[in-house]
Amino acid sequence: MKKFLLTLALVGPAASAAQAQTTIEFWHSFGDAKRSGWIQARADAFNKANPGVKVVPSYKGSYNDSLQATILAARQGKAPALVQIFEVGSQLALDSGAFQPVSSVKNVDFSDYIKPVINYYTIGGKVNSLPFNSSSPVLYFNQELLKKAGLDPKTPPTTFGALMKACQKIEAAKLDARCFGMSLNGWFVEQWMAQQGQTLLNNGNGRQGRATSTTLDSRAAQNIFSFFKTMQDRGYYTYTGKLEDWDGSDAIFTNQKAAFHITSTADIGNIRDAAKKNGFTVGVGALPIPDGSKRNGVVIGGASLWISKGVSKAQAEGALDFALFMTNTQNMAEWHKLTGYYPVRQSSIDLLRKQGWFSQTPLQLVAFNQLTRTVPSPATAGGLNGAAIQTRRIIEEGLQKVLGGQGVDAALKDTKARADAALGEYNANFK
Amino acid sequence: MLSVRPKRDAGGREDRAVFRGAALPWLFLLPSLLILAVFIYLPTLRTLRLAGYRANLILGTEQWVGLGNITDLLGSATYRQVALQTLVFTLLSVTGGLLLSLGLAWLASRPVRGSRAYRLLLIYPYALSPAIAGTLWLFLFNPEIGVVNQILGELAGVRPRWLDTPLLAFALVTVAAIWKGLAYNIVFYLASIRNLPTDVMEAAQIDGATPAQVFWRVAFPLLSPVTFFLVFTNIVAALFDSFALTDLLTRGGPYVGHAGITTFLVYQLYQDGFVNFRTGAAAAQGALMLALVAFVTFMQFRLGERRVHYGA
Repeated sequence: MKKFLLTLALVGPAASAAQAQTTIEFWHSFGDAKRSGWIQARADAFNKANPGVKVVPSYKGSYNDSLQATILAARQGKAPALVQIFEVGSQLALDSGAFQPVSSVKNVDFSDYIKPVINYYTIGGKVNSLPFNSSSPVLYFNQELLKKAGLDPKTPPTTFGALMKACQKIEAAKLDARCFGMSLNGWFVEQWMAQQGQTLLNNGNGRQGRATSTTLDSRAAQNIFSFFKTMQDRGYYTYTGKLEDWDGSDAIFTNQKAAFHITSTADIGNIRDAAKKNGFTVGVGALPIPDGSKRNGVVIGGASLWISKGVSKAQAEGALDFALFMTNTQNMAEWHKLTGYYPVRQSSIDLLRKQGWFSQTPLQLVAFNQLTRTVPSPATAGGLNGAAIQTRRIIEEGLQKVLGGQGVDAALKDTKARADAALGEYNANFK
Repeated sequence: MLSVRPKRDAGGREDRAVFRGAALPWLFLLPSLLILAVFIYLPTLRTLRLAGYRANLILGTEQWVGLGNITDLLGSATYRQVALQTLVFTLLSVTGGLLLSLGLAWLASRPVRGSRAYRLLLIYPYALSPAIAGTLWLFLFNPEIGVVNQILGELAGVRPRWLDTPLLAFALVTVAAIWKGLAYNIVFYLASIRNLPTDVMEAAQIDGATPAQVFWRVAFPLLSPVTFFLVFTNIVAALFDSFALTDLLTRGGPYVGHAGITTFLVYQLYQDGFVNFRTGAAAAQGALMLALVAFVTFMQFRLGERRVHYGA
């Protein structure tokens, strides 16, 4: 033991002196080989080009786990320089004081980033984090089932009303499949509020000041809850019964037990492959919205890259350099092809267009148009609140109540009361 | 379950090793005490302290609220509903689980052909992690594409919505928990049944007892020590280990009244502490659960001395 300690004492300083290298820990939440491998390959390329810097990416569990781990590490002065944080955690990350805005690390030209994406992460005029993996929800449909029911797959429904009409036909055709399936997730409610130009929270969607109440008593929220009520009452809707069950809902769709499905654009690749395996062709359309509403666009979902406060200037700059490298034009185009996440840069879209990507995979075009045609406003910038993980769940439980037979007004009233209480409880931390 | 008595040799002389001085025994205890202190006592004390604060793990904020967290919990309709659900779940899964495993172990211990294979199959689910078990059940009971509903649909023309019909979801989680715990209980029962004194059983048979009488009047009382042990391990398992199963199978839902119907105390604690980061509220729940476990342990020792028949 003594000998070991002695060796350590002798070797320690020598080793760190020889390594005049800045080490940059990068914690992310991609456990699968495809995506974590891609990140590792980018780090290797970056390290090779910058001998003074060593980026070390590592998988730190779910978004929730990794946020927790980062905060605890930061308290001990061992924060990773770069962390991937999910969008509902943005306000929490901001309030934690453990991070610094990327725009204050050094001057970056953000004009190439797609507007709605950069808007989400711009808080109080500062770009707090760098967009990385972004997506939005779209309508998926089974072309064969639609044809069997006498529907034209070239003109998928774009409104709730049109979707219900299509469901009538699907039902009449007796196809041994429900019309519509999607996972019950608060994320979709957030999207539909934005589509209608309605902020989800007061105080400019929580962007001008701390949000103190939700707008779940609005007409827009009623439209969304009523949609689920009608779909359920008519027997058009199905899901596994478990909240946020993405995989289960995808499985219902790919096993041809639902003609229509709504989920993230990030799943286009996986669903297309599963559909091929099960012998049908998948189509993609814009997210259907309430009738009579102007299409305001989507809120960006996914995650962004944050830089820790408690790291040296060299580490912070190195982290930002790497984040910018990983999200450069070429890399983002590649990332998109690999995963289905949006490339977050306009130049990457142009590059993909030049490569003929959209004529090879026309499914993706719908998703892109949906994003690039988004009208910038506080509503489409997305709601910010520190209890967002909890309020999202509360909204899901409210929807589940409606599916269980409760009236829309009663369910919304109760949901709003609970969500507002959660906001109050969070805000009380700052008194 | 072991009773330690000083051994006496034939001469009646006590054969006991006695430490000279107090230092040596403490030295031997030190490693265990250190580990307990670092991983159990210290965290417990810190949890109890934290229960008095409104705290958020991510923000690092702490405001003294005294007993505020506890009174909030006791007054909260959600928490009371969760506690009641936990009670019902524990009662059902422990009694159901023990009766079923005792029955199966009894049958598998009969001298029948292939009894070894039965035993192996009965014990095998113990090797499954709760995460795998949960995922398995989730796919089996998917209302649209799960195997269970495909079979039910063909045979009976019904396709129950297992995961969002409140009573069905509750029953499903209970049955899944019983199934998951079955193997553990069966192992203990099988071992105890094999160790039953055959002379007593044979005497009962010769005296004309029916097989049912042999089981209930002779075997069951002789098995009471292991039953007693299993009752308490099962209670603790129902209180604490139900977590992975609920998380994967139902996420605590569906929501009825003031809470998800399959949300139990430990899942509520996890949600508040590690998903919503309401650290103080979670610590208060931890304190309440600590009191609950202390009570269960107290009952275990009280009842254990009085009611259990340890044989010779």
